[in-house]
Amino acid sequence: MDHLLEIKDLSVVFHIFGADVQAVRGISLQLNKGETLAIVGESGSGKSVTSKAVMGLIPNPPGEIATGEVLFEGKDLVKYSKKQMQKVRGKDISMIFQDPMTALNPTMKIGKQIMEGLIKHQSLSKHDAKNRAIELLQLVGIPNPEKRVDEYPHQFSGGMRQRVVIAIALACNPKILIADEPTTALDVTIQAQILDLMRGLQEKTGTAIILITHDLGVVANLAQRVAVMYGGKIVETGTLDEIFYNPKHPYTWGLLSSMPKLHAKTDKLLAIPGTPPDLSNPPKGCPFAPRCPHAMKVCTEHMPAYTELSATQKAACWLLDERAPKVDPPATIGVGGES
Amino acid sequence: MGRYILKRVGYMLVTFYVVVTLTFLAMKMLPGTPFKFANRLTPEQLNQLKHYYGLDQPIPVQYVHYIWNMLHGDLGGSFQYGMQPVTEFLAQRFPISMQLGIESMIIGTILGIVLGIISGIYRGRFLDWGTVTLTVVFISIPSFIFAAILQYCFSVQIRIFPVIGWDTPMTHVLPVISIGVGVMASIARFMRTEMVEVLGQDYIITAQAKGLSTPAVIYKHAIRNAMIPIVTVIGPMTAAVVTGSLVIENIFAIPGIGSQFIDAIITNDYPMIMGTTELYAALFIVTIFIVDILYGVIDPRIRVSGGKPA
Repeated sequence: MDHLLEIKDLSVVFHIFGADVQAVRGISLQLNKGETLAIVGESGSGKSVTSKAVMGLIPNPPGEIATGEVLFEGKDLVKYSKKQMQKVRGKDISMIFQDPMTALNPTMKIGKQIMEGLIKHQSLSKHDAKNRAIELLQLVGIPNPEKRVDEYPHQFSGGMRQRVVIAIALACNPKILIADEPTTALDVTIQAQILDLMRGLQEKTGTAIILITHDLGVVANLAQRVAVMYGGKIVETGTLDEIFYNPKHPYTWGLLSSMPKLHAKTDKLLAIPGTPPDLSNPPKGCPFAPRCPHAMKVCTEHMPAYTELSATQKAACWLLDERAPKVDPPATIGVGGES
Repeated sequence: MGRYILKRVGYMLVTFYVVVTLTFLAMKMLPGTPFKFANRLTPEQLNQLKHYYGLDQPIPVQYVHYIWNMLHGDLGGSFQYGMQPVTEFLAQRFPISMQLGIESMIIGTILGIVLGIISGIYRGRFLDWGTVTLTVVFISIPSFIFAAILQYCFSVQIRIFPVIGWDTPMTHVLPVISIGVGVMASIARFMRTEMVEVLGQDYIITAQAKGLSTPAVIYKHAIRNAMIPIVTVIGPMTAAVVTGSLVIENIFAIPGIGSQFIDAIITNDYPMIMGTTELYAALFIVTIFIVDILYGVIDPRIRVSGGKPA
């Protein structure tokens, strides 16, 4: 099967203060046309770096794509020149950012910020670009777009600004939209609106979405497939149902357990004890081993290989080895998306 | 907008009035008299002189008198120059200082902004180190030393520019450079800091993610935002340079207002001190007003139209 985007063995290193921080360590991912892939994991697991690597926006120096390929429609974006990459960004692949309060230029009218990409990639005249900008504002649900197109970001609320950011990202009908924690900085009520908007737009435009988040509620809302990242590696991937109902990796168990539940009997929040590994000196074995309640001797020594659990699900864990003891997932795993 | 400006003009007048009053009082507290040989004069002679210059009246009366005359455009006559009107002196000498200051500011600001932008873009690389070193050197060297070095190199050793004077364009070069490098260095440092800050902002990544080329990102998104704080610096700096080039005026024998001011203070030439101070104050107040208006032009968030966007 031909994938729209295929990441092969991607590693990203940051050279900071004499140390090499290996933010992403050999990950492979596929994204198909029109689907939504969620990359989940806690802070520092390498999610955002992965998305920046796809966009070619790793700041260099200090960052660098050490190995791997990012194949977009079969062509390796890592090998693209700066100029070639500029033609991809905003046109074929675009991005929504976490904090709409800072993602817009405060001194430029929002209409102009939307028009920039249109003028660059679609060679529209100023007049046509402005009309298209008004259409886009309408599309993302901003009332009175003819008037608001000439306003500045500070005249918009947070949710409205995120709609503008989405309008900018969708201006040139990209094939892939990378949403880096698109709802993290928003109020819960606004979050739902933005998620609805994204789902609706995806149905209309058929854009594939890479959703970067640590919020499993958002994942359940939007994604069809999920990749769980930890310590710069993908520890488990599968369809939404597989990850939520039949997770195999203890880290996925931990993530699911730590989701607060409406009907839970305890009033305590479950957390995964410990902190993520120091990636300037990454562990030899499984990165989750020090925090894993089921860790064995082998876990700290050797990185487990992926075990194929189904055509779509695989996980990297020694527990899945035939020699390992049988461990059942904890009963605290809540099923998302039902609240 | 109109209302805002009216209100501001009101505040400006109040500020100006306070400056005039404080200067008047401070001046009266200065030791000494305007009369050079006061100790050799008989009390009668001294009283006659005081009467002639109106200094025998009580200070409140002098004050009211002064303000009244000022409102009629009369700043009094210089004690040292046979009661020649102070306004005449100012009208004659101020344009020279103004020209020197503005020429230096224009050159210094443009070069400073350009250097700062380059330095900020190439942060941590050779160009940046070069610029930073250069600016530190130029800020550290006092302008009069720099002026003397320039005079030695380009007037004495290589005779390109005249040593002193202020008439042909050639005479402008050295004094303008002497003041301009300091301006350039300060502005370059500010601009660099702002560029580095702005280039780390999220909206720069947004602009890159749109596929804009690097020059477009820098020109359309970074520079304008980096310029906002610079405007605040340029305003008072302009006022300071226009009014404060006393030393440079002395070194190059430029008949500006700076040397006049120093003379006036040394000789207790009260009307001249008042007149010069008033001019400085007015200039400063007006510059800051202009800066506030400019601020709104560059930054839509503080556009001063009472909440209504342009």
